[in-house]
Amino acid sequence: MSITRPDVDVVIIGLGWTGSIMGMELTDAGLNVLALERGGERTKEDFLYPKPADELKYGVRLKMMQRPKQNTVTIRRNAEETAVPQRHWTTFHPGDGVGGAGSHWTGVLYRATPNELALKSFADRTFEPGFLPEDMTIQDYGVTYEELEPHYDFFEKVAGLSGQAGNVQGEIVEGGNPFEGPRQNPFPLPPLPRTLTDTLFTEATQKLGWHPYPYPSANVSGAWTNPYGMQLGPCNFCGFCSNYGCLNYSKASPQTCVLDALKQRENFSYRTNCEVTRIVKSDDGETVTGVRYRDGEGNDVYQPAKMVILASFPLSNVRLLLLSQIGRPYDPVANTGVVGRNFSYQITGSIDMYFKRHQFNPFISAGGSGQVIDDFSPDTFDTAKHGFIGGSYIYTTQGPGGAIGAVKVPPRTPSWGSEWKKNASEHYGHHMMLGTTGTNMSYRDVYLDLDPTYTDPHGDPLLRMTYDWKDNDLRMTQFMAERMREIVAELKPDYHTESFKQVGDHFDPSHYQSTHLTGGAIMGTDPNTSVLNRYLQHWDAHNLFVMGASAFPQNMQHNPTGTVAALTYWSAKHIRERYLDNPGPLMAKEDPANA
Amino acid sequence: MASDPDDMKRRDFMRRSLLTIPAVSLGSSLAFDAYADNGAPALSDYQPMFFEAQEWQFILAATDRLIPRDEHGPGALEAHVPVFIDKELAGGYGRAEDWYMQGPFHVDAPAALGYQLPHTPADIYRLGIAATRRYCQQRFNRDFVTLSHEDQESVLSALEQGRPDFARLGVDDLPSATFFSFLLQNTKEGFLADPIYGGNRHMVGWKMLGFTGARASFREWVDQYDRDYPLGPVSLSGERG
Amino acid sequence: MIRILSRMSALALVLGAMTAQAQGADDHDQALIERGAYLARAGDCVACHTAPDGDDFAGGLAIESPFGAIYSTNITPDPDAGIGRYSEAEFAAALRKGKRADGANLYPAMPYPSYARLTDDDLHALYVYFMQGVAPNDHQPQQTDLSFPFNQRWGISAWNWLFADQQPFEPNEQDSDRVNRGRYLVEGLGHCGSCHTPRGIFQQEKALGDDDGDDYLAGANLNGWLAPGLRGGGEDHLGVAGWQAQDIVDYLATGRNAHSAVTGEMTSVIENSTSHMSREDLAAMAAYLKTLPVSDSTDIGSERRISEQKTDQTEQQLRDATALDEGARLYLDNCNACHFADGRGGSGVFPALVGNSQVNADNPTGLLHTMLAGAQLPSTSERPEALMMPGFGWRLSDKEMADLATFVRQGWGNQGSPVTPEDVKKVRNSMDAREGFSGNPEATGANHPDDRAGASAQ
Repeated sequence: MSITRPDVDVVIIGLGWTGSIMGMELTDAGLNVLALERGGERTKEDFLYPKPADELKYGVRLKMMQRPKQNTVTIRRNAEETAVPQRHWTTFHPGDGVGGAGSHWTGVLYRATPNELALKSFADRTFEPGFLPEDMTIQDYGVTYEELEPHYDFFEKVAGLSGQAGNVQGEIVEGGNPFEGPRQNPFPLPPLPRTLTDTLFTEATQKLGWHPYPYPSANVSGAWTNPYGMQLGPCNFCGFCSNYGCLNYSKASPQTCVLDALKQRENFSYRTNCEVTRIVKSDDGETVTGVRYRDGEGNDVYQPAKMVILASFPLSNVRLLLLSQIGRPYDPVANTGVVGRNFSYQITGSIDMYFKRHQFNPFISAGGSGQVIDDFSPDTFDTAKHGFIGGSYIYTTQGPGGAIGAVKVPPRTPSWGSEWKKNASEHYGHHMMLGTTGTNMSYRDVYLDLDPTYTDPHGDPLLRMTYDWKDNDLRMTQFMAERMREIVAELKPDYHTESFKQVGDHFDPSHYQSTHLTGGAIMGTDPNTSVLNRYLQHWDAHNLFVMGASAFPQNMQHNPTGTVAALTYWSAKHIRERYLDNPGPLMAKEDPANA
Repeated sequence: MASDPDDMKRRDFMRRSLLTIPAVSLGSSLAFDAYADNGAPALSDYQPMFFEAQEWQFILAATDRLIPRDEHGPGALEAHVPVFIDKELAGGYGRAEDWYMQGPFHVDAPAALGYQLPHTPADIYRLGIAATRRYCQQRFNRDFVTLSHEDQESVLSALEQGRPDFARLGVDDLPSATFFSFLLQNTKEGFLADPIYGGNRHMVGWKMLGFTGARASFREWVDQYDRDYPLGPVSLSGERG
Repeated sequence: MIRILSRMSALALVLGAMTAQAQGADDHDQALIERGAYLARAGDCVACHTAPDGDDFAGGLAIESPFGAIYSTNITPDPDAGIGRYSEAEFAAALRKGKRADGANLYPAMPYPSYARLTDDDLHALYVYFMQGVAPNDHQPQQTDLSFPFNQRWGISAWNWLFADQQPFEPNEQDSDRVNRGRYLVEGLGHCGSCHTPRGIFQQEKALGDDDGDDYLAGANLNGWLAPGLRGGGEDHLGVAGWQAQDIVDYLATGRNAHSAVTGEMTSVIENSTSHMSREDLAAMAAYLKTLPVSDSTDIGSERRISEQKTDQTEQQLRDATALDEGARLYLDNCNACHFADGRGGSGVFPALVGNSQVNADNPTGLLHTMLAGAQLPSTSERPEALMMPGFGWRLSDKEMADLATFVRQGWGNQGSPVTPEDVKKVRNSMDAREGFSGNPEATGANHPDDRAGASAQ
């Protein structure tokens, strides 16, 4: 049956990081805010020790994640292939429930660099004309690092960011990342203590003349009270981090950093198990009037609102825009439309090293613990010489926690029987990993649209992903593999194994790679090539704002959460300071340069 | 530590609204009672919920080969891995309760695109065991469970490499290697998951690895480089090893 | 959690109603009503005059006394069910003398011996607030019906004559305004002595003010929980004396400070009363407590002289993890994640166990209750996070719990006595079912219907 609920000032779709932040900002502005969360309630009670320390439930059965049964995505590598669904999650892990992905992320909290936010301008300045492949569709974000800096700074305080600044107001600081953009303040908290893998990595990369620094970690190094009065406790390296809720109040999440403060506000409310199925357009097509959702009892509910904040996972953002027919869908053949355009992912690779002489105790592990070099970022060396645009950070992190996913045996060991047992037992604790996480450019034929065949249980089409790796990005990751072999040579393990994509390889989503899915509803300054203006306001509906990494025009090397949060505060600032007094487009469509 | 009745009442006299803690009875289900035996019932006493009798015998024999008891310690049977698998298959995992199971099923899609079979994990075991038993009948004229260890291992290797053609044994849309991969993965899970799920009895799998279980507290160990960790594991329910 | 939140929102509603009602009143009345509302917070009237799940101030909470259940009354301005017909003089007599409008005595569950300290101005503000700022509610709470002789309210007159002879507050000229303000709040509306001053055989507080003897705020035992001594003077860092004034303020404002976190009955006091008070008033209360010299009878409980050597020994033992007795091993398996090998937790987040008053209390009941059932901090405006400690009653046997409690009470130089399994059993049995445990992975937290499939194995 259909129900209409009393109207509210703001509906927020999704109560993860961006929904929680927008909740704080817009209730601060005196608005009556309602958040609708598709998944269930998740409170600190769900994360009490020892509940999260359950590898089968969370690490293997992925119980923190969205259920593919409820909604999944279909994948194909090119337009000729038939897309088929991810029937259970392998290549990425979209979140679900209150807190969203923010309750089970790893806790690596980065900023974008100034050049990454203006990558196209950087490329035009840096490379010979014609260097970029013709089908590459990279763009500038339309917002600058200087504009985002105060918002990065604030969110880092919200999250209790632990680490070592490398550039404070232009001064390069020893031990930090010298290639980062200037920050007005040092990190709120010092780095986490150094693991054995951290120390080995640091020594090796320093010998190679590179610049190791501690992972910027939102698993906090000490007790922290954030600007909302919310509190984090010192991380104890429990070993249950990525994919798990934190059992120690140590990992920044909406639960630990925002929600209890937000729930105190009388002008905030939220409903769980409410899946928004459409954002409803007004008759004149200039605005949206609210949302339709299916509640936990299966009712179809219309929720009117003066403003809608779309704050779900990037894939869900794009799908809901397509289902709601807001914005012109992208057509890669005609090269028209915008929704679904510039989808991108993350290029990763790794080396696994075995040292009989070292005991790493890999259960001593925290997601945000590790050491990193940024010496091979998009703007720190001559990438053109090596035939690509882009870059990667190279890191180590101690772990993994867990047992089922932590068994390592030498190459050519049988996968079962006594021989497997013997090797599993002898090799546990003696492995150290090196990883690389790199840029992924956007391309004309890599995009998101609605699947013509597969639907969710209610008959709405699933999202379809057309994605493959491209030579530019594969050359980039191969370059990183060579650098990582130099580290291996310094460290002299007894043996090592590699996992890198080769030029000519095709996307293989049958195993985990990354949950850093970006683009599809990108921001920019030109309505012909972006869904959102530079304030994350929809070009075609001025009272609809879309948060999240779906706004990234291409993916950066660094983890997205910091930039996602900074963009949310940036958007909130312009809603509060400009939009509320004078609702309408914050940028003129016709002449973006004047905005 | 006497607490006299008046004292009790005085406290109540002062009682204000109590700190509210969600209600769960501290009654008879206390976990420490449950492992008091240190012995769940012997494997032979376990009544499978999912497996039929002959399937159960197959699982006992197969997991015993996959993780045998040997000089490196207890194996799948001591760990009650078959109990784990039975419980998993009888539950939501067996029913693929979280999975997207709408058709069409492109069973011949490239392997890179991930699992595309129409079967739930429970189906895969039911069909896979039946086909494997038929395969043994054809090849050895005997049931899997009566084969020598060597022959059992040879059958498992054949499955791992996808050699038996299940379609010719009457089971469609199930590569034998896929059945094996489920069997092996679930066997390892049963050996290494928390004992709360029925396997890893007495945490034997964790002890074999040197894994610490649910202790989840190592701040003081971050800087103790290259030192062997001296303590055995602890389970979710507080069992110590 | 749900109850705490609903209590908070109920209060919000009342305050909202208050604002709406008061719109017609002039600014003076409005200011008076707001002051009265603030004073009602300071007096924590709502705690007793509200039944579980009942409307605020509508009464009906059963207060168990040694003589039977005393039901709190409706103090909304309803003319029949509440106090709507009270004149200000009658209201004053109830608060200061424990006299009902009809002349009968109130049971001394009502802290009128403390409220006697109220100034006329504050009393007036409270009266205006209760008459004009609180919505009338016609709820008729259950009548108190004690057995003979305790149903003879006239007998209370004798009790009053003996024990409730307090005079209105007089500032002490030798003290600063701030200390006098603090004394006024602590002795009067705050009625801190109700819990923190030991009681005599007639259930009377042994002292109602600092001029009434060293027993005042010297600490008391509430069903085994230590209501620690609040006498904070002296230089030897004993008791609350071990805390700086700022620590006391933080604790009252948020239920947590650099050393400790609230458990037990004080949780609701902080939630409903002190967290709503101004920093100035809390600072005044702290300043006053710091002037009270620690007396021989003060049950300091906390921050006994901790030997640093012993602290280091315990920390080293836990770090090495090679020579552990049962209690130390259990500590690593259950407690170390938050409280750490140094026993100092995380400042403002995880309470320190070293020198902790509840850990060191002579009677381990409070500690055992917390270990068995867990604890949750109140969500206050300054510190909204209702941090939870899981309970371990489902995970540890009486013997294990006793070994662990003994380790915690004697580790790091703590000076608590050993705990026996019988002690644990007693506390476990005394806990009502509602106070169960919150961390059992088999019991709660199922995110999907099938989460617990297979979880019944053991």
